Order: sequence, then C-alpha cells, then structure tokens
Amino acid sequence: MKLKKQDVLLLAVFLAVAVVLGVGLLLTRSNGAIVVVRAGGEQIAEFPLRKDTTYTIEGIGGTNELVIENGTARLKDASCPDQLCVHQGTIQYAGESIICLPNQVTVTIEGETEDNGVDIIAT
Amino acid sequence: MKFKSKIWLTAALACSLLLAGCGTDTASTPRDTGSSVTANGSATENAVMAVDEPVSQEVFAMDTYMTVTAYGEHAQEAVDDAVAEIERLDALLSIGEADSEISKLNATGAATLSEDTSVMIDKALELYDSTGGAFDITVLPLMEAWGFTTEEYQVPSDDILAEILTHVGADQLDWDADSRTITLGNSQKIDLGGIAKGFTSGRIMEIFQKDGVTSGMVSLGGNVHLLGSKTDGSKWRVGIQDPDNTEDILGILEVEDCAVITSGGYERYFEQDGVTYHHIVDPKTGKPADSGVTSATIVSKDGTLADGLSTSLFIMGVDEAAAYWKQHAEEFDAVLATEDGTVHVTEGIADSFTCDADVTVITKD
Repeated sequence: MKLKKQDVLLLAVFLAVAVVLGVGLLLTRSNGAIVVVRAGGEQIAEFPLRKDTTYTIEGIGGTNELVIENGTARLKDASCPDQLCVHQGTIQYAGESIICLPNQVTVTIEGETEDNGVDIIAT
Repeated sequence: MKFKSKIWLTAALACSLLLAGCGTDTASTPRDTGSSVTANGSATENAVMAVDEPVSQEVFAMDTYMTVTAYGEHAQEAVDDAVAEIERLDALLSIGEADSEISKLNATGAATLSEDTSVMIDKALELYDSTGGAFDITVLPLMEAWGFTTEEYQVPSDDILAEILTHVGADQLDWDADSRTITLGNSQKIDLGGIAKGFTSGRIMEIFQKDGVTSGMVSLGGNVHLLGSKTDGSKWRVGIQDPDNTEDILGILEVEDCAVITSGGYERYFEQDGVTYHHIVDPKTGKPADSGVTSATIVSKDGTLADGLSTSLFIMGVDEAAAYWKQHAEEFDAVLATEDGTVHVTEGIADSFTCDADVTVITKD
C-alpha cells in the first residue's frame, strides 16, 4: 500500500485546517472578553480586551481616559476631584469594574474569562 | 484504497470534533460569537439563551453605584420599575438634598413623615433597642464632625466629641407611630443611611415579584440582595470582599432569596499622622469602632435588618455579636472577619460558606 502524492497533500491540508481552527478558537476563547464603557447608566462604547487602544470617555460632567493594554484595562487620567478611579489600577477578569462616581462612569469587563466563579460581590 | 478512506475519516473526525466541542462552549457563552461555529448550536439552545439573558441597569443614586439585574420575560419592566423606586426613595431620604424629607426634618426639628420613612423609623428604633444602642440613626452630627459626610476629613477633639455625644441617642427622639410625627431632641439630626439601601433592596425584591420576575439580583453600593435562585436552579455565588485586600475576596457564600450585606472599615476612611480612621463610628465613644472585627456580613431575608445589623455587629465585636446572634438566630446569619485573621461564621450558613482562612463556627449552644 502506497499513498499517492495527492493523498498526502490532502491529509496535510486537513491537518493544517484542523490545527489552525483549533488554535484560532482557543485564542479567541481565552481573549473573548470585552470592555464595556457606560456613563450615567447608558452604554456608550465597547472594546475587545485583547486589542490595545485608548479612548476618552465623556462622562456626566467630566472625562476619563481609558487605556486598554496587554489584556488589561485602566483609567489613566480623569477630571474627577478624588481620582479614585485612577488609583484603582488595572482590571482584567470578567465581572471586574472600575467605577468613577463623580463622572458616573463605569468600565466593566464582560465575557467568559471568569476569575473565581462568583455572581456578585458583597462589599 | 482502504487505508485512504481511513485517513479521510480520521481527518473529518478531527475537524468535526473540534467544531462540535466549540459549538457546545459557545452555546453557553453567547457573547463569544465564533460566527460559523454558532451555526452548530441548535435553534432550541438559542431560544433558551434569549430567555436566560438578563436585563441589567446601572444606577447612580444614594451617593453610590448600583446594579439592578432581572431574568425572564418581565425583566425589562421589573428593572425599570426598580430604578424608578430607587430614585423615589433617594429623593425622600437623601441628607445631601436640602428638600428631602429627612433634610427638612433635620432643619426644622419636627415633621410628619411619609409612610415609607415611618416604616424605616420604626425599624431603626427597634434595632436601637435590640442592639443596645449600637445601631443609632442620631449619629449624624458625629459623622459631620469627622468629615465623613463631606469628605473634608478631620479628627475632632475629645471635648468636641463629648459635647456632641450628649445629643446622640435615638432614645431622645419623640416618635409617635400612629400620627407619624417625630420631634428631634435638642441639636439632634438623623440619617437613615444605615438602613436605607437594605430597605430599598428589599423593596426591589417585592417589585420584581409583583412584575413576575422569579430570578434577579441587585447590588446597591455593594449591598447584595437576591431574588430566588439562578435561572439554572443553582444557588447564587456571592463573594465577600476581603477587608484586608480590596483586590481579593474573603470567601464565597452559596445562597438564595436573601440579602447579603457587608460593613467594613475599608469602605470609607482617611489617614492622619499615620493613623487610619474609618467611617463606622461607635455611638458610645464617638470614635471609629475598634472591636477587632474588620468586616461584618449579615445574611437575612430582611434587607433592612441585614443593613442595620452589619454596622451593629461590626461595632459590637465577635463576643457580643455572637451573643446577639444566639438570641436572634431565626432572623439572620453572619460572617465576621477579625484582625487576627480568623473568620467567624454562624452555624446557619456554615455549610454554605467556603473560605481559605481559619473558620470558627458560632453555635447556638
């Protein structure tokens, strides 16, 4: 029994397709989370967490500078007096959020990169 | 030829396995739409997903951040009604708005109150009595002296605190429940902030039920209240904030149909001369409570009770809190984190609580 050249080629193509599909799906699965930006309770923008970007959030009465970098999100600058949102640092897991009360801005990671499997946190 | 068809089969199998595997995953996580892959999910799966998709709304009210979430076909209506109720109660109770019912009362010293406010006053006085004064709605002048109401923080002198303390005490309020009239004592001011969010979350649960919702959750500035169970029938997993590290959780409670309300010094505090002063002021000393408890979580069907008791048990400390729980074990359960790292849990929820730290169970006998 001997394989024909075309058969080997076909097999190679199949394996290649399988590998590419598998790897591609694995990658999008682990990085499928999105960063949702809301102001005054209304969603105003959303970005994939895996793509580096910056965005100026027009909050209620002020602005916040959103930076998405290396799969994390943070607020780099803000017009608010307390700067609590800036000091909160970075978030990266689904369900995590940064909240700026003065500007009524929230930045939330939504998706399936679940951290510890909780539905809600009592603080 | 035989071998060839085997290879075909293997390759086809490899591909279909990959696709099938991913199809199942995407069905439970609709957001990750791997375009061609979702086509594998059957029509029924998609229909179930649409019903399970929650309606969620953020609200900025009562000086905090809230989320209101409901499931099922009446979810949108229920969430809209809940948001309207939050705004109505906020306007009634806010001490930051000069024309709220409470602000007017504090300005004039006497008033006839609305039904909702009256219910809260009744509950507040009940808690004042049962907690031996640990829960007290007349601490507002103390909070003002420390700057917790304006965020212009300062450490008041002992003389100032001693003077203010003579006017602190809900027993100085003159309240007539029948006519709903209240008269404040000399120099007194009240704030229902210690139970307002728990009262509101309880009200939202009633609204959800009235609107035909059987599964929902709210977080009013970290005060959690849950209606029913999750849509798959399992219990809600509520993380309790680690008081020593805001990035982490202390443990997880698996519960349904109840409020989970935590009070901790980490919620609001300031530092001066190397000393940290938090916002839970002991009505007896006029100073931030120093009981050894770093956070107190109350689990109860009654949101108002849970809210009031979370502050009270934080002030009481573990021993007094345990004694209090033994007398009221039917009404609530508690998780108390302490400075020495031990976590105390009352036996009613001991089996529902998982935690990495050392856990001591508080039993009735």
